[in-house]
Amino acid sequence: MKLKIVKIAIVMGILCFSLLSAGCTGVERNPIGFSGVECHDGILYIGSSDGRVVAVNPASRETGQEFPSSDREWSYSPSPMLPSKGFSCGSSATPVSIYGTPVAADGLICVGIYNGKVLMMSPSARDNDSAFPQLKDGEWSYPRTDDVIDPIVGMPVVDGNSVYACCSDGRVYALDRSYGDELWRSEPLDDKLWITPLIKEGTLYISTFDGHIYALSTDSGELLPWSFKAEAGFVSSPALYEDIIYVGSFDRNLYAVRMGDDAPLWKFEAGNWFWSKPLVENGVVYAGCLDNRVYAFNAVTGDKLWEFDAGDPVVSSPIVVDDLLIVASETGNIYFIDKQTGTGERIKNYEEPGNENITTTGFLVRSSLCSYQGTLYVHTQNDMLVAIDIESRRLSWKFSLVSEEDK
Amino acid sequence: MTDLWYLIIVDPMLNGLISLSSLLPKQVQFGLAIILLTIIVRLILLPVSIRQLKSTKAMQSLQPKMQELQRKYGKNKQKLQQETMKLYKESGVNPVGCMGPMLIQFPVWIALYQSIMRALATTPENLLDLSHRLYSWQIVSQALPLNSHFLWLDLSGTGDFFLAILVGGSMWVQQKMTTAPSVDSKQQSTAQSMQIMMPFMFGAFVLMFPSGLAIFWLISNIIGIATQYFLGGGWGYLTNPFSPRPKSKAKGS
Repeated sequence: MKLKIVKIAIVMGILCFSLLSAGCTGVERNPIGFSGVECHDGILYIGSSDGRVVAVNPASRETGQEFPSSDREWSYSPSPMLPSKGFSCGSSATPVSIYGTPVAADGLICVGIYNGKVLMMSPSARDNDSAFPQLKDGEWSYPRTDDVIDPIVGMPVVDGNSVYACCSDGRVYALDRSYGDELWRSEPLDDKLWITPLIKEGTLYISTFDGHIYALSTDSGELLPWSFKAEAGFVSSPALYEDIIYVGSFDRNLYAVRMGDDAPLWKFEAGNWFWSKPLVENGVVYAGCLDNRVYAFNAVTGDKLWEFDAGDPVVSSPIVVDDLLIVASETGNIYFIDKQTGTGERIKNYEEPGNENITTTGFLVRSSLCSYQGTLYVHTQNDMLVAIDIESRRLSWKFSLVSEEDK
Repeated sequence: MTDLWYLIIVDPMLNGLISLSSLLPKQVQFGLAIILLTIIVRLILLPVSIRQLKSTKAMQSLQPKMQELQRKYGKNKQKLQQETMKLYKESGVNPVGCMGPMLIQFPVWIALYQSIMRALATTPENLLDLSHRLYSWQIVSQALPLNSHFLWLDLSGTGDFFLAILVGGSMWVQQKMTTAPSVDSKQQSTAQSMQIMMPFMFGAFVLMFPSGLAIFWLISNIIGIATQYFLGGGWGYLTNPFSPRPKSKAKGS
């Protein structure tokens, strides 16, 4: 009996150890975030992995000044860390995460954060390190109290006097742009909405995980008569060109849906999901795919113009700079692709250009890219902000967004 | 090695779980899929479970003889060990026979646990990771994203107290059915502590891990109880009034 008890104790020990180690090594449960970079008025705004909104002045970074420099640089931590829900392999609290790229609107910065807040920030108030929110400077948070709504993953959209944000409770929230008051909230459209909404002529277009595209009135949030239902759920945020909506689905298709139609205009099946929001320019749809490729399609006919093999899944949205389509693969390679021909070149790693095994940035890239005045800005998953001169293809500077306390 | 683990065990189980979800009503798809997959896995492992049951029973049937040996050679540890091994050999019992089958099940449990955690994809990072592990079957893409609600539970959420009681309670019943009372008061007290500690520990796990995993534990316990009931001869030591009483109490009465 004694032997048996010892055995049971050993088995219990093994079981506990196995479960804990499997949980910790197998699946990352904490949200990390992958906010892109917004360039506005010469300043870059980014959501860092530790949940801060950071304003970076490229000129100060180029000269290697200490952060934050006195020239409009700051960082702001929206709220304390959330207490951890249940078992956590890392710290005992879940940091606030930011997935959506901050949005500039009339000199203010709007951001939706994963702990369920929408913030409107004034760069000057943040630069002065004033208490948040400074109402006189147009700052607000929604909800105003310590309350939160469900996580916000997509970007808020500022249109007219309203801010629209999709939430993980499946609703769309319309907020007053000046004061952050709730104008309306829609009925739940799905279990959760992780997208950036689309607005055209007073109508919000929302794609959902259950495969619908809904049209909502921007005035009231009421559902308009037209909706579209696909065979599978939609995974990416929708993009718009004229009256056609482009969105990636879980069945590995890129759908093109003309507003008002019941059937897709065209769809294209790839080898995996079109995770990122497609980019549409001059009648061409550029879409990065998790099957390692970037595709270009005729926006109306759906004819494939070219495809480019990026070697790894493409998670971030591409950008167009003049004749170039710039794309990042998840492992951190940056490609400059000719928009017309689809031929591209990989930018070599800036520290070891001779080593083909090291990616351009040397770390994962999931956030959307940004270009401003001839420089490409990339936010990597190790919280490094990388600036690459587009013409010379060389590194201009890089800057770690990790806060001093965390270093 | 890790890649092989995912390629051979976790990914097939994950895709199986999602495919199964695709065949079930959307409102209860994932909860029901976890239950069905647990039943399937337990059925596959049934021969192993039966072996474990037989092994445990055989060990229990040797208890009187073991106690006799204990009395005879209690002071001579080496002799006791020799005689015990001899007894095992003569009776055709493998002393670790009840351990082996249990250990075989561990990888399956861990794989099922990882599959559930991955399939639920509670954060954007999880969903992205899931995309790299899915087969290009239409049945898989049709089920996504999975409905994480089942009955009153959010399968990706934690901290359901009622479910913790169910898991802890069912584990206690299962253990009580199989653990033979000892005639030695010290051993009996240790066994009782174990019987309480284990359900408590798993009850605490339920409060810390996603409810989807707790559903797996609960169904696994229920199947264990059913297997024990039908193959092991009723409720076993749970209701057996003729179980031996601890020595010290027997003396006192």
